[in-house]
This record gives sequence, C-alpha cells and structure tokens, in this order.
Amino acid sequence: MGKTAANAASSAGGLLRRAEFVAYWLAVAPLAACLPPRLAYRVACWRGDWSFRYRAGKRAETVRNLRQVLCDELGPDEAERMARDFFRMMACVAIDVMRLRGRARSLRKLVEIRGREHLDAALAGGRGAILCSPHLGSYDSAFCLLHAIGYPVTTIGRNAVGLKWGPSSAEQRFWNLVYTRRLLRHRQRPNIEPWPGRVQVAVQAEAVLRANEVVTICSDAPPLDADRARAIEVTFLGRRARLLPGVVTLARLTGAPVLMISVHRLADYRHQVLEISPPVPMGGETATAFGRCVAAMDAAIRTRPADWVYWADTDHLVTFGLLPAAPSAGTEQIYVHSA
Amino acid sequence: MLEVTHLETVINDYISRELVQEPALLPLGNATPLLETGVLDSLTLLRLVLFVRERFGIMVDDVDVVPEHFASVDAICAYVRARVESSADQAGSRG
Repeated sequence: MGKTAANAASSAGGLLRRAEFVAYWLAVAPLAACLPPRLAYRVACWRGDWSFRYRAGKRAETVRNLRQVLCDELGPDEAERMARDFFRMMACVAIDVMRLRGRARSLRKLVEIRGREHLDAALAGGRGAILCSPHLGSYDSAFCLLHAIGYPVTTIGRNAVGLKWGPSSAEQRFWNLVYTRRLLRHRQRPNIEPWPGRVQVAVQAEAVLRANEVVTICSDAPPLDADRARAIEVTFLGRRARLLPGVVTLARLTGAPVLMISVHRLADYRHQVLEISPPVPMGGETATAFGRCVAAMDAAIRTRPADWVYWADTDHLVTFGLLPAAPSAGTEQIYVHSA
Repeated sequence: MLEVTHLETVINDYISRELVQEPALLPLGNATPLLETGVLDSLTLLRLVLFVRERFGIMVDDVDVVPEHFASVDAICAYVRARVESSADQAGSRG
C-alpha cells in the first residue's frame, strides 16, 4: 500500500515537473524575454530557485556530482550554492534563446565579445576556422550571436543528445519548437549531426571550412558507445577523462585553425562575456594537441563551474570517466540543458 | 581515362597503407566492406576524399558521400570513374 502511494506520488511529481517544464519554455520564457533584461533574468532566477527547491532528487544529484568531481575545492555549502547557480543558469539559457528573435539584437546588447580579432585573422587565412567550446552556459546562443554579427557559422552537434527520456516524437517536436528551431535560424547551414553511421560528417565539415566559413564544435561531449574506441584519455577537471579528439584531426586534415571559445554569465545573470582565443597550436601528437584544447575548456569551466551543463547528469559524467560507474540512482527524466 | 587495374591498385594501396588499423584485414580485398569493418569512419573517409581529390583531381561533393559510394574499394573506384567521366563529358561539351 505504502509503495503504491509512493509510486503514485512519484509519477504525479514527474507529471508536475513536465508540466512546469512545458509551461516555462512555451509561455513563461517567451513572455519574460520581452521584459527589460533586469526583470527577464530575474524571472529566470526565480524559476531556477523554484527548481532548486522542489526538485530534491535532481538537486541532490547535482550537489553530489559537483562534490565528487571537484572534491578538493568544494565544501558542502559551496556545492549547494553552486547547484543553485546551475539551476538558475539553465533557466537563463531559455531567456537567451528567446532573445535570439530577429537579428538577436536584444541578446547582443547583453553579451560582450572579446577576441573577435582572432577570428577575423583566422578567416583571413582562407581556410575557415574551427571554434571549439565546452558545453558551458549559453554556448548555443553564443554561436548564434556570432552568426548574427556576420560570421557564417555551422555547428557540429547532435540536437537530441540530451533527451534522456528517449526520442518520443512528441517530445522531440516540442524541443524543436521551443529550442532547436530558434537556433537553426542563426546558422549558415543545417547542423552537422555526428550520429553513428553518418560517415559524411567530416566531409561536410571540410566543405564548410573550404568555403572559408566557421565550424563550431563542443569537444567535451561524452563519447557514444560507437565512438568509445576513438576516445583518448586526457586530464579534465582534475581527473582522467575520455574524450574524442576529432577537432584536432579535422584541423590537421583541413589546415583550419582551432580557436577556443567560451561564454560566461556575470554575477547579475543578464550580462555575459564571450571570449575567443588565439589559435591553439596543433603540433605534436594528437593527444598533446588535443590536451591543449582540453586544458582551455577546463580553464573556462573552472572560471564558473556552475555553468557546465553536465552536473545534473550522472550517466554522462560516468561516460566521461569523471565518476566511477555505479548502479543508476533512478534519475529523473530531464533535458540536459534545462534542469 | 584511368586504367581499370591501376585505379583499383592506387585506391587499395592507399587504404591499406594509411587507413587500415587492423592487420588481420590485410591484404585488403577490393570487395571487402570498408564501413562494416571499421576501416572507414567519418574522419578516415575525409582523408580518403582528400586523397582522391588530390590524386585524381576530382571534387567529391559532400552530398555524394553516401555509404554506397564508399562501401568497398570496388565501389569507390566505380564512383571515381563515374566522376572522371562526367568531368570529361563536361569539358568536352564546353570545348
């Protein structure tokens, strides 16, 4: 009897969470994004605080993961604060995406772009440019901003990778409606999606670079089962993790320079800084060259650890090798970008 | 026009020398499936495409990069031959 009641409460909680998620992305965030930035991002922070308070399971999982991975540098109170910031950041991402309307002018006013001259210099070389980013904060909106200010940006990335609840077509359509569709309007070409069996991915990326355009890639994605053999071990967030060095191989084959890019939200939650680095040297062994990219991603994440999107996702952290494999704790169904 | 055996030899040699990681697959047969055996993945296929472009002077459009064209050495050669012939026809009609 008690178990039945607990199951009913759990599924009611799941339904409520889903309803809140749909309402936030479909109604609250689009409306809030029309408000002055100070109010819009305050609404997002309220939503983040609400999630932090009422999604006890996800909150505990996030705090636990933060402490396990960043154990040497994080006390319990700081982990709680960082988890709250994580939930706030995820809610702010929705506002950023909604502010991409038109030519993204309303978001552009809030983001300072540093290092644009490095991207201009790279494109002047005529071999395109590869922008390599961690999954940090509003990285997707940052790519859109670059396109909106005149850079022809195409992204290598899987749109649906974060859908842990499975590729139900209704949920996929919903996500496309509220998120993906808004991003794709700010891309030069359709996303290049590296799913298993899609052997044309690197050739498509080469075509983009040959046209002297920009390719973005997030190199801190957990490798899919089909790609595990190609992953190499690198030092990442103080541990040995397994990541795919495809960015280095692509750069070497095409001659395109690799620039690191990261976006950080400031303490007021509404302003952000997008930083583009000078080209990363690609000399030496693949592991050495990729190690430089990983070190740059690591440094960007450490600048504001709460903005890294994987903290609420134990399975992905295990896949990286950042956490030991353990029996599933019955994690909630959640989109990785929208805790 | 590329000679039949020459083309097969050049492609097979390149793949055997540069792309095959698993010694058990050598010597590589012209009909050996390259995708199922893992010889070609996205990045090794790019290397092959760049080699074909440089060696035979043909552009491989990204829309042409489908498994049928790169399933085996034989399939690759058939594709390269078709591209060379269509380039020659275009050059002929312009001339």
